[in-house]
Amino acid sequence: MNATFAIAGATFGEAVRKRILMVILLVALLIILISPAFEPFAAGRGARTLIISFGFGVIQLAGTFIAIIMCTGMIPTEIERRTIYTILSKPVQRYQFVLGKFFGAVGTLAFMYLMMGIVFLIASRLALGSFDPQIVKGLIMFFFQSSLLAAVVLFFSTFVSPLVNYFLSGGVFLMGNLLSSFLETIQRNPDVHPITRIPVQLLTVVLPNFANFNVQNPIINPEQVLTDEVAYLVQTIAYAIVYMALLIVASMLIFNQREM
Amino acid sequence: MSDLAIKTVNLTKRYSGLWSKQPVDAVKNLNLEVHRGEIFGFLGPNGAGKTTTIKVLLGIIYPTDGEAYVLGKPAGDPKNHHKISYLPENPYFYDYMTGREILTFYARLFGIAEPQRSKRVNELLERVGLSRAADQPLRTYSKGMQQRIGLAQCLLNDPELLILDEPTAGLDPIAHIDIRDMILDLRNQGKTLFISSHQLSDVERVCDRVAILNRGVMVQLGRIEELLAGGHVELIADKVPDNAVEPIKQLGGKVSLHDGRLIVEQPDNGTVDRVIDIVRSAGGHIISVKPYRRTLEDLFVETIQGGKNA
Ligand SMILES: Nc1ncnc2c1ncn2[C@@H]1O[C@H](COP(=O)(O)OP(=O)(O)O)[C@@H](O)[C@H]1O
Ligand SMILES: [Mg+2]
Repeated sequence: MNATFAIAGATFGEAVRKRILMVILLVALLIILISPAFEPFAAGRGARTLIISFGFGVIQLAGTFIAIIMCTGMIPTEIERRTIYTILSKPVQRYQFVLGKFFGAVGTLAFMYLMMGIVFLIASRLALGSFDPQIVKGLIMFFFQSSLLAAVVLFFSTFVSPLVNYFLSGGVFLMGNLLSSFLETIQRNPDVHPITRIPVQLLTVVLPNFANFNVQNPIINPEQVLTDEVAYLVQTIAYAIVYMALLIVASMLIFNQREM
Repeated sequence: MSDLAIKTVNLTKRYSGLWSKQPVDAVKNLNLEVHRGEIFGFLGPNGAGKTTTIKVLLGIIYPTDGEAYVLGKPAGDPKNHHKISYLPENPYFYDYMTGREILTFYARLFGIAEPQRSKRVNELLERVGLSRAADQPLRTYSKGMQQRIGLAQCLLNDPELLILDEPTAGLDPIAHIDIRDMILDLRNQGKTLFISSHQLSDVERVCDRVAILNRGVMVQLGRIEELLAGGHVELIADKVPDNAVEPIKQLGGKVSLHDGRLIVEQPDNGTVDRVIDIVRSAGGHIISVKPYRRTLEDLFVETIQGGKNA
């Protein structure tokens, strides 16, 4: 286990030294910080919605880019620079390497979300005069969304090149965000032939559902009532953890066969 | 417990060619046996398959065919890696880390816990002479300093077997001597060393046995003294009368006499005494007697060129 955490630590150390990731973080922090300036554009209730949805939008976008950019190269770079040779010559199982990389990625995301979350809370407090606990829930959900995306990217990185990975994981992220509502729409329409419906159903089940994490919808539209919010959050987080575990196990199996 | 540190049985590694490229057998039917406590030189020109063999031994790649064992266990079992260390061909380390950080990182991979860990890291920084540069990032290190960090990480776990891939490539002669001294030191501690090299330096001369690999095939194997046997002795004498030539010629070897100057090349040390006796009793003067040893370079070049012509 020590080896896994050593690798996770090194992964975190390298990620936070990556200029592109730091630029994304800093830009996101800056935008969140100045977002209260938009307040005059909306009045009363509208201002709250605007600031919160805008902040979440920025955080989600930054989290998505950070997850994809950080994880596409994570394993391929180790192979290309051959730093992995020395690591695998130590008493390190290949699965520990994969797990260490994943923990490092999640740790980096946690750090990024913490920074963005703190700034978001401060900015919204200044603008709205009170702390909104919904913001914390939203941050947690988006953090799990980004972590799940990181697992998807890491999984693809064990067998495709970084360039292909950008498109694959970008595509999976988009589909995973849109498929469930698309499926709902066509299920409501009796004219849709099963030949169309079944593949969509299948894809919706197989691909990770990223839409569940987009909690800004109920927060921003309070009229959309969730019967049991806690159960929903717990369920969604459990879904993320199970799905990530499956992806990481699959990554380990593929990586175990790999030649370097 | 097996007395072999490394054993391969008909080891073959084929890289399947991508797209237009032909598949290459980087290593073909290699049978190696390296004994415990031995310094084994694994020699061959660039592209011979040395690194490929080492990668199989470490489990970084898998054999296409045949088997490989390290310290009596199938190659590549990470549980065995507590007893092994590896110096990569080039310093493939995280260059944003400092010398101390990278050693600490590898020590953690070895499972060495604090407070032992810091102590060991400091000891090794001292031992390779990098205490002062310990807190600079590796990217500011010279090639020689990076190699020393590489050696330090090899010693973290007090290994039984050290696998050094081209330890002297690109280093200056003083660094060669440092590395040779360290190798001798390790030999005295009873360690097994497996050293690959494409160029011959002082380091290869300390090997007990060498194998020469060419295009994936082992073309020579043996103790250095045996492989280098077959030198000759050259004798030069002056004022040697013509009638002395016949008895000397009967002893064999190359003989030439011109204007009283005799040059004899004798393959065998034993008969040189007889030549000297004949020359002196015939009234000649011995000018010099020089043994010419075959060098590792000679052997290397002969072997590789022989392979090319074949
Ligand atoms: N990953 C690889 N894919 C394809 N061919 C390779 C690969 N690695 C090495 N080779 C080829 O295998 C042969 C042996 O290489 P290598 O083991 O690195 O030689 P050496 O270490 O003796 O210089 C060379 O012809 C090299 O081009
Ligand atoms: Mg090599």
